[in-house]
Amino acid sequence: MGFEQIMAEVFKTLSLEYVFLIASGVLIGLIVGALPGLTTTMGIALLTGITFKFSGHSAIALLMGLYVGGVSGGSLSAILVGIPGTPANASSTQDGFPLAMAGKGAQAITISRMASIIGTLFGIGCLAFLTPLLTELALKFTSAEFFLIGLFGVLISGALTGGDLALKGWVAGIFGLAIGMVGSDELTAWQRMTFGSPELFGGIPFIPIMIGFFGIPQVIEALSDEQDVLVARLDKTRVKLKEILQYWWVALRSGLIGVGIGIIPGVGEDVASWTSYGVAKKASKHPEAYGKGSIEGLVAAETADNSCIGGAIIPLLSLGIPGSPPAAVMLGAFLIHGVRPGPMLSFEFPAFTYQAVAWLLVATLFMRFFAMWLAKPMQRILQIKSAILMPIVTVLCAIGAYSLDMRFIDIFLVFFAGLLGLLFKRGKYPAAPLVLGIVLGPLVDTNFRRALKASGGDFSIFFTRPVSLILVIAIVMLILGQLGVFAKIWELLKKKPEAAV
Amino acid sequence: MEGVRGRSEQRDVIMDEAKVRLRSMDVFMGLGFLAVGAFVAYDGFVAFHATQLATVDKSANPGVTTLFIGSLMGLLGLVIAVIGVTGSRHPFRIARQAISETLRSKTFYKGVVAMAGIAVYFFIFWDRLPYVVSTFLFLAGMMTTFKAGAWWKIGLISGATVAIVWYVFGVLAMIPLP
Repeated sequence: MGFEQIMAEVFKTLSLEYVFLIASGVLIGLIVGALPGLTTTMGIALLTGITFKFSGHSAIALLMGLYVGGVSGGSLSAILVGIPGTPANASSTQDGFPLAMAGKGAQAITISRMASIIGTLFGIGCLAFLTPLLTELALKFTSAEFFLIGLFGVLISGALTGGDLALKGWVAGIFGLAIGMVGSDELTAWQRMTFGSPELFGGIPFIPIMIGFFGIPQVIEALSDEQDVLVARLDKTRVKLKEILQYWWVALRSGLIGVGIGIIPGVGEDVASWTSYGVAKKASKHPEAYGKGSIEGLVAAETADNSCIGGAIIPLLSLGIPGSPPAAVMLGAFLIHGVRPGPMLSFEFPAFTYQAVAWLLVATLFMRFFAMWLAKPMQRILQIKSAILMPIVTVLCAIGAYSLDMRFIDIFLVFFAGLLGLLFKRGKYPAAPLVLGIVLGPLVDTNFRRALKASGGDFSIFFTRPVSLILVIAIVMLILGQLGVFAKIWELLKKKPEAAV
Repeated sequence: MEGVRGRSEQRDVIMDEAKVRLRSMDVFMGLGFLAVGAFVAYDGFVAFHATQLATVDKSANPGVTTLFIGSLMGLLGLVIAVIGVTGSRHPFRIARQAISETLRSKTFYKGVVAMAGIAVYFFIFWDRLPYVVSTFLFLAGMMTTFKAGAWWKIGLISGATVAIVWYVFGVLAMIPLP
């Protein structure tokens, strides 16, 4: 497909209908993101259920708008009430809320919005530039490489999000892989872990699980522990672009961190923003100002989590492996709407990557207007009691899951996934690797067996190809690193010269 | 100064206690993962030896991955449980203590009521009552239970929500609601 044809396809999906849907997505995303307890991942999962009747690409455009709006919206509540709307904005509370409490709420929101825009644009630029390159590389991959990328994704996601124990992240990811393998096997039609129930033959549906896992625990926790919300007042300060541009180096570095972490499978915006915040604080001339209303800190956090959006979509489109939990739910939505991400996407829908870039650009444009415009009404919305909001969210969870296939079992799955989510939260088991595991289960399974079949059962296929070998080494290093082997070796090496002295 | 040191020591004790409780919970969660892993591995084992799959190449057998994944999950679960035992020392005693404290907290009961409300809506109301009725009852019931405001306000919000959801899904999206 030539450049002109691609452009024609892109403009076809920038009609008034698409622009309206993207704007709606951004608006919904900003509200969902801003409301503490409702996350971007949950919003995408809910809206996937609701929009499943939309024609293919229009629903995806809407969800992309929601993704951009959701990540940015979380900063509104982080600044105004000191509670991050989404985990991605937790680091923004560190400096955003102190700024707002010091009477600089409008300034903090404007700075965070500008940093979000810079971050999103940086991520989009990387998406446009890197996706075709990675797709070209991925076309040379065989089943062995795809299996190892999937496994590496689950393990690194587990290691980076595991919290107090990396093992918790790994077991969550492997549990997700097992859930993803329930149902009829793709290669032999053998029924796995279905308990003979015909409703599970097609596998455990991803969207109801996501709705339940992210939605129900929030509902229960918000209803059982309602707290009074202290909302900061908005001032009328105006911020000039010049004031932000003096932090161009912080923004650039945070953008790179965001995209880099976004590309790593299943890690996501929260890790990106905390990493960027930590790096910025370490490199800052005024680290003592961090946590007390540092504009630099706010720029670092907001640029990174927004640039992560573009970064997370790069492996999703080129490899079919999502870079963050919201991107993982997006993968489910893509499949529902007949778009199968991965290297073959460039043949099936050659203009899709550029369409995605265009939708994200339009979403960024709307985000620029909506974020400030919403700040005032959001002050009121944030004061809505959980006792009103959460029952409505439950109703949306149920209808969102039911509307996909009109099956009662999906409602039950929402409930049980909710209980599982609650258990995971209490035990401090991360959600990201579980989500990634569920999405990648079929990919890991079929490619593992295809690779073995191609080699006649010889495991050396995973070591003899260069990319496979690199991935195996990366997996081994990752495991050894998490088990503290390198740290122990380093300690021994340090002790030896001391002993010699 | 003394007061500050005292507060910081108190915080450390609370944090240590929270960690010990987390480790105690890890014992049970780890054993849970071990059980699930064993089931997954068993399912793989059954597939591996199924006569129906005798003609399928062993390397392409659907049991290969589940056997591997199940064993790995079981192993990780066991390691987590062991870490939990060493970290908490008396997991059962700590769990008993945590449960008795939880049972005395108001938050827990509120959570149970919320969960029960959702369960009633999902499992009893959903396929037995017309959608509009069940959803209105659920919304009004939950809002009343959790003291959302005056009865007329609850009625208005519940009614408006039901009308919007029914119109968007039942009419616009043409989804056959129960």
